[in-house]
Amino acid sequence: MNRISIKVTGAQGQGVNSVGEICGMGLKRSGYCVFGYREYMSLIKGGHSSYQLDISDERIESSESRSDVVLHFNHHGLKKNLRDVKDGGIILHQTPMWEFPEEDEKWLTDHNVKALYIPMEDIIKELDVPNILGNIYLTSFVWALLNQSVDDLKNLVREQFAHKGENIINMNFKCIDAAIEYFAAQSDLNLVSLPKPDPKWKDALYITGSAAQGMGVVHAGCRVFVSYPMTPASPLLTYISKTQNQTGIVVKQAEDEITAAQMMSGSMLMGARAMTATSGGGFDLMTETVSMNALIENPAVFALAQRPGPSTGLPTWTAQGDLLLSVGSAHGEFPRLVIGLSNSQDAFDLMPEAFNFAEEFQIPVIVLTDKHIAEGLYTQQQYDQNSAELRRGKLITDTSKLKVVQSTDRYDPSVKDGVSSRWLPGTEAAVFASQGDEHDAKGTVNESSENAIEQMEKRMRKAQSLKDSLPEPVLFNSDGVISKDEKFDLLIVGWGSTKSAVLDVLKSDDLKDKSIGYLHWQYLWPIKTDRFEKLSSSAKKVVLVEQNYQGQLGMLIKMECGKDIDHKILKYDGRPFFSDELYSRILPLI
Amino acid sequence: MKIPLNQDGVSMQDYSSENLCTWCSGCGDYGIWSAAKQVLVELGIKPWQVLLCYDVGCHGNMSDKINAYTFHGLHGRVIPFAAGAKIANPNVPVIAFGGDGASFSEGVGHLVHAVRSNYPITFVLHNNANYGLTTGQASALTWQEQAMNSSPNGMPERTLPSMDFIFSLQPTFVARGFSGNIPQMKEIFMQAIKHRGFAFVDILQSCPTYNKFASHKYLLDRCYDVKDDNHNVNDFEAARALAVADTSERIATGVLYQNEEVPNLYENLLPRQGRKTTAVEEVEIKKIDELMKEFI
Repeated sequence: MNRISIKVTGAQGQGVNSVGEICGMGLKRSGYCVFGYREYMSLIKGGHSSYQLDISDERIESSESRSDVVLHFNHHGLKKNLRDVKDGGIILHQTPMWEFPEEDEKWLTDHNVKALYIPMEDIIKELDVPNILGNIYLTSFVWALLNQSVDDLKNLVREQFAHKGENIINMNFKCIDAAIEYFAAQSDLNLVSLPKPDPKWKDALYITGSAAQGMGVVHAGCRVFVSYPMTPASPLLTYISKTQNQTGIVVKQAEDEITAAQMMSGSMLMGARAMTATSGGGFDLMTETVSMNALIENPAVFALAQRPGPSTGLPTWTAQGDLLLSVGSAHGEFPRLVIGLSNSQDAFDLMPEAFNFAEEFQIPVIVLTDKHIAEGLYTQQQYDQNSAELRRGKLITDTSKLKVVQSTDRYDPSVKDGVSSRWLPGTEAAVFASQGDEHDAKGTVNESSENAIEQMEKRMRKAQSLKDSLPEPVLFNSDGVISKDEKFDLLIVGWGSTKSAVLDVLKSDDLKDKSIGYLHWQYLWPIKTDRFEKLSSSAKKVVLVEQNYQGQLGMLIKMECGKDIDHKILKYDGRPFFSDELYSRILPLI
Repeated sequence: MKIPLNQDGVSMQDYSSENLCTWCSGCGDYGIWSAAKQVLVELGIKPWQVLLCYDVGCHGNMSDKINAYTFHGLHGRVIPFAAGAKIANPNVPVIAFGGDGASFSEGVGHLVHAVRSNYPITFVLHNNANYGLTTGQASALTWQEQAMNSSPNGMPERTLPSMDFIFSLQPTFVARGFSGNIPQMKEIFMQAIKHRGFAFVDILQSCPTYNKFASHKYLLDRCYDVKDDNHNVNDFEAARALAVADTSERIATGVLYQNEEVPNLYENLLPRQGRKTTAVEEVEIKKIDELMKEFI
């Protein structure tokens, strides 16, 4: 796999994102698969942030820990991120009179790194343009370094700033031309060579996981979205809100997470598809509502975007630490579904399924995502809009059927699969109580022993029928999804966003032909382990890759089938697995 | 006053549940329950056309004593649930019922934002000034010096001035009733249900078991209807003055304030303007071609 990467660092608000976004979109349009990764701190201005683009002609969904080109907007990057550059790489910076400490100077020489100062302040003065256009100048310089077409860049800039008028566009063009000229004068700077582009990426989307999930939500027919802002779930709220005039969706920013969860539940009871999204702390507040929906057998969809905890933890970083929370949260015993999204593809594909399962089984569904997915930028083929199904289970809307329905059908404990008929307030039919106290078949409170047993058993039967209807985990090798189970020397198991790094590692040149499989759980609870048991017993080694301290998926697997996983690759510092880092941790197992 | 028992094909019988009431003898919930059924009949609303949402507390035991689509959820959370139901299907009248414990302690934030959001729902406060179902603890609305199960010396906290608080939020509908006056409650409920936005209806409710300070008799002796004093319900300041006035001699009841000028939350949702369908009717797999364009 041919891959190169460029990284921009700077203070938040300095323009790091705009350089990243323009280059990312531009490279995608030139025929590259680009993966964008942002690091930033929980503040608005001044904190140190970065935007990294990993670029390939093949599918790429992870970042390397060191880049070919690193552009530093200020001297903090020159201190903190100096060693983020690869051997033989290039550092660009605009800090006047910067002198590298002796130790750094030596490091640069030893690693054959070329550092170039671009006198931005003087150039801006000379060009007589606003300071902010320094960003476009630097973008253009990087663009030239990557040997990309100037016209393509100009077209992109024209498109992005069209609403700002011709004058602004011309100033941008002036900066682009000046940067290209300045680059040409740097005779000792080698071009960074990219692989040959593949036209299949040109019409792809360059999209965050949050926007991907948002489109999945809209596609699924969700019509009410209620949320309270919390990183990293807020980008989804922002996306749904931003597009509301197009989609017509009802959006409500609630006063707290409990409100958000309750409003979603009320909308669901009436028969709309509704959801809420939050992160760990917010989800803690929602859990009583999770439990409530379990008893009234109301479909409910909660998106939980993970970040490292406990407490406020690392608000703008990533983790997979809330799997056990999702599985075990909320009081009482009841069936639920936990789904783990992994990238922009299943952020879209699995949202309709979240709603389908919620409605088919009348249960709470928790959709796990994380900061890495929420804010990662994926190059994504346009979505297939013909595959999603609308499955609403035993929802009765037909007038003739509504006429014959009995109040006691609502929570009829005799149903074999545990799923009883559901119909909607406002429809002409026998009425019932959506009863949050233990109740009989029509929702009348009933505290008898017989009834308690009957209703508990009814609800818990749904856990089995739900499990029966879920697919086994998905198996991958370096070529992609494989349906046939085979013998592997190494079986990697995981879930969520770590999939991206694992699959990129499997594609690396010296692992491509090795016997390595990756088993990925999209549906995490109830957990299916048949395929795992079969594959793991024939594999020479099994390794768990997770972004948490305890190896939570491993714990669930052991709980379900008793099998321990000997090797664990775990990470819990808020950073995602970098492909080279993961590679070096997998290598000793081969 | 004549109460029609049968209206537009709906009768009191339709709302009758076979389940027996479980409230204490003399509980104010009986009166609120009766008035609620009466107003629905009088408005010609059939049991399947309405959603009645109940908080947790003594009043919540009404959820299966009235034959309609009902919901009985979590303590303190009835308002957001009811609001969520309403925005999904604005065609269905939604009435939320909650006690003073749930509404002025656990869920007080919801009440604040319900007034602010002006959700098009009715909220009936079962105000018996204590936590009944948990056996008589003090609520934020209990009189401070009253000895209660959890505060035998009286509350160390001050009583929350509930009406002053509500009026400070710029409400669009405020009424006060008394659980012993069913015809008046029915009138209040009727106006509340017809109100454009969030209708806050405070029902002073007798609790013969735990509230010995504001008994049925106490309330009966003091409550008067502001209609009899020619109160102008559109006069915010006058309404507020009546609502916060000393209640030791006289208690103002009836519709105290109404403002129909303020749009409700749903009316303020730009993407919903001009739409004939509800969110409930719009559930289908939606095309996203337009949305994808932004990212190509």
